[in-house]
Amino acid sequence: MAITRIILPRLILLLFVVLGVAVITFTISHLIPGDPARMIAGDRASAETLENVRRNLGLDRPVVEQFTIYIGNLLQGDLGTSLRTNRPVAADIRTFLPATLELGTVALFIAICLGVPLGVLSAVYKDGPIDQVARTVSVCGISMPVFWFGLILIYVFYAKFQILPGSGRLAMGIVAPERITGFLLIDSLLQGRFDAFRSALYHIILPGFVLAFANMGVITRQIRASMLDVLQEDYIRTARASGLRKGMIIFNYALRNALIPSITLLGLALGDLLYGAVLTETIFAWPGMGTYVVTSIQTLDFPAIMGFTIVASVGYVLINLLVDLAYMLADPQIREV
Amino acid sequence: MNGSKWKSIGIALLLASTPLSGALAAQDVLVLARAEDPPTADPGFEISNSGYTLTYAAYERLVAYKGASTEVGPELAESWTADDAGLVWTFKIAAGHKFDDGSPVDAAAVKFSFDRLMKLKAGPSDAFPVLKEVEVVDPQTVRFHLTAPFAPFISTLAVSGAAIVNPKVMEHEKDGDMAKAWLAEHSAGSGPYRIASWERNQSIVLDRNEHYSGSQPALKQVVIRIVGDVSARRLQLTNGDADIIEQIPLDQAEALQKDASVVVESNPSMYVNYIYMNNRQPPLDDAKVRQAISYAVDYQGIIDGIMLGQAKQMRGAVPSGMWGHDPQGFQYSYDIEKAKALLAESGKGDIHLTYTFSQADPAWEPVGLALQASLAEIGVKLDLQAVADTTKRELVANGKFDMAPGAWTPDFADPYMFMNYWFDAGKMGGPGNRSFYNNSKVTGLVQEAASIVDEAKRKALYIEAQKLSTDDAPYLYIMEKNDIFARRAAVKGYVYNPMLIQVYNFGTMSKTE
Repeated sequence: MAITRIILPRLILLLFVVLGVAVITFTISHLIPGDPARMIAGDRASAETLENVRRNLGLDRPVVEQFTIYIGNLLQGDLGTSLRTNRPVAADIRTFLPATLELGTVALFIAICLGVPLGVLSAVYKDGPIDQVARTVSVCGISMPVFWFGLILIYVFYAKFQILPGSGRLAMGIVAPERITGFLLIDSLLQGRFDAFRSALYHIILPGFVLAFANMGVITRQIRASMLDVLQEDYIRTARASGLRKGMIIFNYALRNALIPSITLLGLALGDLLYGAVLTETIFAWPGMGTYVVTSIQTLDFPAIMGFTIVASVGYVLINLLVDLAYMLADPQIREV
Repeated sequence: MNGSKWKSIGIALLLASTPLSGALAAQDVLVLARAEDPPTADPGFEISNSGYTLTYAAYERLVAYKGASTEVGPELAESWTADDAGLVWTFKIAAGHKFDDGSPVDAAAVKFSFDRLMKLKAGPSDAFPVLKEVEVVDPQTVRFHLTAPFAPFISTLAVSGAAIVNPKVMEHEKDGDMAKAWLAEHSAGSGPYRIASWERNQSIVLDRNEHYSGSQPALKQVVIRIVGDVSARRLQLTNGDADIIEQIPLDQAEALQKDASVVVESNPSMYVNYIYMNNRQPPLDDAKVRQAISYAVDYQGIIDGIMLGQAKQMRGAVPSGMWGHDPQGFQYSYDIEKAKALLAESGKGDIHLTYTFSQADPAWEPVGLALQASLAEIGVKLDLQAVADTTKRELVANGKFDMAPGAWTPDFADPYMFMNYWFDAGKMGGPGNRSFYNNSKVTGLVQEAASIVDEAKRKALYIEAQKLSTDDAPYLYIMEKNDIFARRAAVKGYVYNPMLIQVYNFGTMSKTE
């Protein structure tokens, strides 16, 4: 089957990607001057204490041996222990990843819901006032720095008018729902915890919108361009000539075809969301992977940095795989190749 | 999903559409907003002030700093005696102290805590270099045996690492880790508070310890919220969502002072900024060159211009506020002519140095620029080299630098924390003597001062060592900085103790709003 022909090589590739990322990050972590033992024991630690900490971390062993141990553990799903928090990195990632994914999903949802209609309108009413507005908004989205936009929103909605909260995932005093998916919006609904749902929803609006804004700009622009292409096609002209309703033509014929090139874009947008999350999470004190990796980098917490890199790279390969599969579903011609 | 589920989702959406109610914290809940999650709460492991916020609230020690003073008084121990040689210390433990599970704090718990600390042998154990054994005499009496007299011993018993931990934590031991993984995010002490929950990178909730022996704290709960961005923290304070915020830049502190509902706490601290000069490396191996550089620094200009007045020039190695500080000690002043003359005397010309710094302290870069400008006046070229903080520490520890800025705070209230770390030739590099200063006379003085118990004699030795070393100018003594944070005016009862930066007396604080 064609599907296995596509998926199988990707899964093999995935293994190599993980190994490659592990080799590169491990090498870099051993090239950067900085002694993890000193980070833990403190700057003024005595030589014996440093030696003891090094031994406990296995840092006194030869580099090759350390790497073999790391890979061996990795194959068993063990990403090592964070130097800073003293917890297994895998547990840390399980704690923080859902927060980032939830934020990213909401942001993507907002970006699509706003970006696609805006792009369609912009193309249909090309050069009209709607098009001008849409283009301005999309340029703003693409070029506005996340931290600046985030702070403006916090100032207006939180500090000035007190409409929305400015940080965290839940209001103080609200107990988080029991963890099922890690998505507060879903977990709270599943358990009928409306107080938590409401609080989580309020908290995600500002960071979700900030994160969505840049991607919305890109989506609007892309949809507009491909809609303009599609609207020139012969079959659209034929449809128009045969007297079909305008809405029918735009949504049933044009948009469906215009969306195909956008699938790749959505894959890329998802990747962008991960990057954007680092800044957004910092501004909104969102307890996700972004803040985790920033603090890990600041403290040279190598197991944490490596764990994050590996998980992120696996994520990228999987997203690409999904994009290819989506292509196949959307365009039967590709399935034949 | 069944029908009722859908209905409940509908209700939820409806509820969600009502406007947000005011979110002011209750009067018995204190909210502290800070930039970073503390690494761990395990007293045997934690070495950052950020973590001390938790360990000091959750645990008691044998002795404690009393109020604003740097002297220790009884906490768990009601009295103690030492033998004449200073090798055997006997402590009587006060009755009535209980861990948060209700079990009593006894001699066995003290022994357990120190055995655990010394077995972990991580950073905090360094405060006890000569501890041989802890012996249980009877349930209320415990005896410490030292291998050598160690003058600051009683003072070290007040540090975070000396916290008394409930031996029952061993029920949480995993793979022989001495309950390290569990204690990283939980507490098992007899202090006024206990860690109730910890959402990593989000918030830590401290609840009152129901079994605390002291008077019941007014604050039912303390919430530490992690808010990375400084502007966001400031907005939370002015909005009333946070009661205390930490790590505010100096210019923002000035702006906050205009808000009547906010108090900017600015207190003189023992946090010093100084500059290591590599005494092993020519031309800095020549005391005349180091003295010349010491005269070429515009100390007051740095304090007024960079610190906006929130600091003062150091006078010797031991900061003001700690015993052993010499108020008559010699202080270098900004004197370009004298600097030029000393440099000419040294016979060294065409000097080219590098200043290796990181962004770990916001003052280091502007101080470097100020230094670059003043050294240019005496014909010394200074290059600024910015590196990652870990790299800087590694370069300094290995002596691969000319000049580098440093910050230092004492762990316990004894001049030992400065003198024996900075000047002992046996502690070169990472441990403390980061200018690689080697003066056998000074080394002898500080070692002697650490091994005798008589405080007056020790003080005389430390002052003499300061005189000699200041003359040699191994370091540039820049400034003692103020400790700054902002609180809402409604927060009452905060007592500043220079030994306890980022540590709050939550147990005796309250709110009046």
